[in-house]
Amino acid sequence: MTVSAASVAGALAERLGLERVVIDPSALAAATIDGRIPRWIVRPASIEHVAAVLAIAWDENLTVVPRGAGTALLLGAPPSRVDVVLDLAGLDRVLEDNPDDLTVSVEAGVTAGALAERLAGRRQWLPVDPPGWRRRTLGGMTATAAAGPLRARYGTLRDLLLGVRFVQADGVVTWGGARVVKSVTGYDIPKLMVGSLGTLGVLCELTLRLQPMPDAEQTWLATFASVAAAQAFAARVVDSPLQPTRLELLNEAALRVCQVPSAPAGVAVAIGSAHPAVREQGEQIAVIASSERARVAAVGDDVWTRYDAALTPAEGEVVLRIGSLPSRLADTVSVVERALPASERAALITGCAALGTLRVAITGADPDTARRLVEDVRGFLAEFDGSVVIESAPTAVRASLDPWGPIDAASRGLMSAIKQEFDSRGVLNPGRFVGGL
Amino acid sequence: MPLTSAVLNELRTILDSDGLVLTPEGRMVYEADMHTFYKGAPDAVALPRTAEQVQAVVRLCRREGLPVVPRGSGTGLIGGAMAPRGGVMVSVNRMDAVLEVDLPNRCAVVQPGLINLSLTKAVGDRGYFFAPDPSSQMVSSIGGNVATNAGGPHCLKYGVTTNHVLGLEIVTGTGDLVRLGGRAPDRPGYDLTGAVVGSEGTFGLVTAITVRLLHAPEAVKTALATFASITEASEAVSEIIAAGIVPAALEMLDAVIIRAINASLGKIYPDAADAVLLIELDGPRAEVEAQAERVAAICRRRGAVSLSVAADETERALLWKGRKEAAGAVGRLTSSYLLQDAVVPRSKLPQIMRELEAIAARHRVTIANVFHAGDGNLHPLICYDDRNAEELERAKHANEDLLTACIALGGSVTGEHGVGLDKAKNLPLQYGDADLNFMFRLRRVFDPAGIMNPDKLLPSHPACGEGFRPKRPVLPAGAWI
Repeated sequence: MTVSAASVAGALAERLGLERVVIDPSALAAATIDGRIPRWIVRPASIEHVAAVLAIAWDENLTVVPRGAGTALLLGAPPSRVDVVLDLAGLDRVLEDNPDDLTVSVEAGVTAGALAERLAGRRQWLPVDPPGWRRRTLGGMTATAAAGPLRARYGTLRDLLLGVRFVQADGVVTWGGARVVKSVTGYDIPKLMVGSLGTLGVLCELTLRLQPMPDAEQTWLATFASVAAAQAFAARVVDSPLQPTRLELLNEAALRVCQVPSAPAGVAVAIGSAHPAVREQGEQIAVIASSERARVAAVGDDVWTRYDAALTPAEGEVVLRIGSLPSRLADTVSVVERALPASERAALITGCAALGTLRVAITGADPDTARRLVEDVRGFLAEFDGSVVIESAPTAVRASLDPWGPIDAASRGLMSAIKQEFDSRGVLNPGRFVGGL
Repeated sequence: MPLTSAVLNELRTILDSDGLVLTPEGRMVYEADMHTFYKGAPDAVALPRTAEQVQAVVRLCRREGLPVVPRGSGTGLIGGAMAPRGGVMVSVNRMDAVLEVDLPNRCAVVQPGLINLSLTKAVGDRGYFFAPDPSSQMVSSIGGNVATNAGGPHCLKYGVTTNHVLGLEIVTGTGDLVRLGGRAPDRPGYDLTGAVVGSEGTFGLVTAITVRLLHAPEAVKTALATFASITEASEAVSEIIAAGIVPAALEMLDAVIIRAINASLGKIYPDAADAVLLIELDGPRAEVEAQAERVAAICRRRGAVSLSVAADETERALLWKGRKEAAGAVGRLTSSYLLQDAVVPRSKLPQIMRELEAIAARHRVTIANVFHAGDGNLHPLICYDDRNAEELERAKHANEDLLTACIALGGSVTGEHGVGLDKAKNLPLQYGDADLNFMFRLRRVFDPAGIMNPDKLLPSHPACGEGFRPKRPVLPAGAWI
């Protein structure tokens, strides 16, 4: 039996304080997710608050959409119901900072920008840089497995999350992993949480591995007559002892918005190392580039700031996250371009050439165009189990096709059994994740 | 309980004519891994060649409620690949093929029985390697490495096994064959590949593995620094890490180990040293040179007695030979030892070394130290005479004290060996009831009948049983009636 809205608000207020429960209609309307207006916005200040909110939601069969900076709410399918928006921005404390161990424990609402500022003085960083990363919360980036160009060298949050404290759907506070850089005690729960979109638990505390910042980083831009030539160059770099921190493919439109020399395709290679090593690797890059008939020039580090600004998702944009292969990048780009009408050729296509990921951003695509594009690319990638996920798109687009794409029945069965085990009442982000979970 | 003749017949039908070991002598070979403290022979050993055979065996065992115990090379150190309740052991040694090498996409697909080093040998001439390098890599299987999420000296820079596994094919405890992950990145859905790595065969049996390959570095420099005390050497390690240098490997050996190695393998390390640090830097040549200077300066500042660099590959190989065969060399000093695998934060190394000396003195045992200093992963060998029960007791107490001390500093029970039967009881040191219960429930999803490697990894503890309910927040009674 569901109790009245007023009494739920009362229960939330009793546990969290009146000021942490928002029921003002205009505030609620402003927090609309895919056309669904939440009944309450709750702003916890501690993990105990989160636990209390989830316990109430569980008992009352309410659904909860966790929210960090609110920049990734258009990832995945529209939620089937939104009762409580759990705004985690208030969980913004650094809990334990161990500079000499290169680890830090933070609350999930700490933004990547705030952490970067704290770490810069000691030349350490969390090298995870999805577009718009400064504003994003670390919890949100973890839940959505967000990644950017630096993954070429440092991997993703999958490789950097050491420990995690989360609250299960029924309000039970749970810890997985460790606070040290190496541990195999028990199951690797942090791996299960990265990219799970808060569907198994609300992430509240993260213990992260940091990396030393290189003494120097220099970026070179090689430009090419075709994406295929760019891919060939990237393959040569990968098949060498060079250790780029970023190896990013950019199509013509992406080069243009980054305000670098125009060409049909480019590869931005960044080397981060000791000064003499940066110089020496730069010389080797020039040799490879000239043998691949590319033009190559050093560019200022601000190219990455421009890149970040240009790729930060804008209102109405359709953004795809594509998992292809390094050897099939040019083919994948061709499929994308063929699927777009001439008027949409301004698609920004970028990606990590070392790993075979692509990001496609289109402005103003109608649902039909978007659907055709996604279906064509999925059809091409099926041969080698690649994937297309809609990272951001207007509701109409995400409602017209599966934003995650098909997954095989056996994997789907396991994932759904896990979800059922830990959230049988469908409290957490129902309907948004893979296979409608 | 011996297997029924109906089950045996069915096993014979599933497996090749030479694919089943049933004799007592034959089964005895499989009664323990390298932690010979724990013994338990299976009722039958299956030697499958295909995933379909593995699947048929698991389905049979599921139907009959028989334990299934996976085994690779049996080189684990935790009482993992042994059968405390009997049942069917599935040994994957015959599934040892490299199925595919895809260098343009820097990955390979292998069967679980493939020996770790064989993969690097298969791609080494083309400039690539498989990074996880447990000391057992000449004999341990990649399937076993996946089961335990094995580490190794070079994991300091390159990460442990899980960082190099892109996809898995697994027969779960329900008998389903599932493909997880794959060579294309960012597969949507839960990262089940990540969850299965390190699950020690309790979720199922891995039948194929897609691994990442890395390009070999341009330059490698291996140095040996000697110190007058292990505390000074530990301080040097902590300072190297704090300075933002990530060596490929940073290994510590103490006086007991140095002497044991020199006695058994010839004079590899300076006899007079009380501690040596084996430091390996790799990467682009200029980077290695720059880092080597900084590391040398730190070692000198921290009181290094000597510092030498391997002049060529032969000298380098010799320095590593001592390290990789250290545990074997200790066998010459003592009839038996308990091997620890606990972890402390890197900055706490000097402190734990002092505590360790006090623990050894308190329990009157010799503790030899050889470990992955760079990531704080200790491998103290607590020596005892197995003919002396009282000495074993003291060794066990020292072992427990040491573990408690590591956890008190914010550490971990096991860094790379795994849990198995040996450390299951220690999990409550690191995890609360709710945490253990979450793991128990996750296991049950993969293996509802509880047949996969029973008794391993999770302790027998109320939180790891049916009907246990972790504490939920207490809500105000009647607040919203």
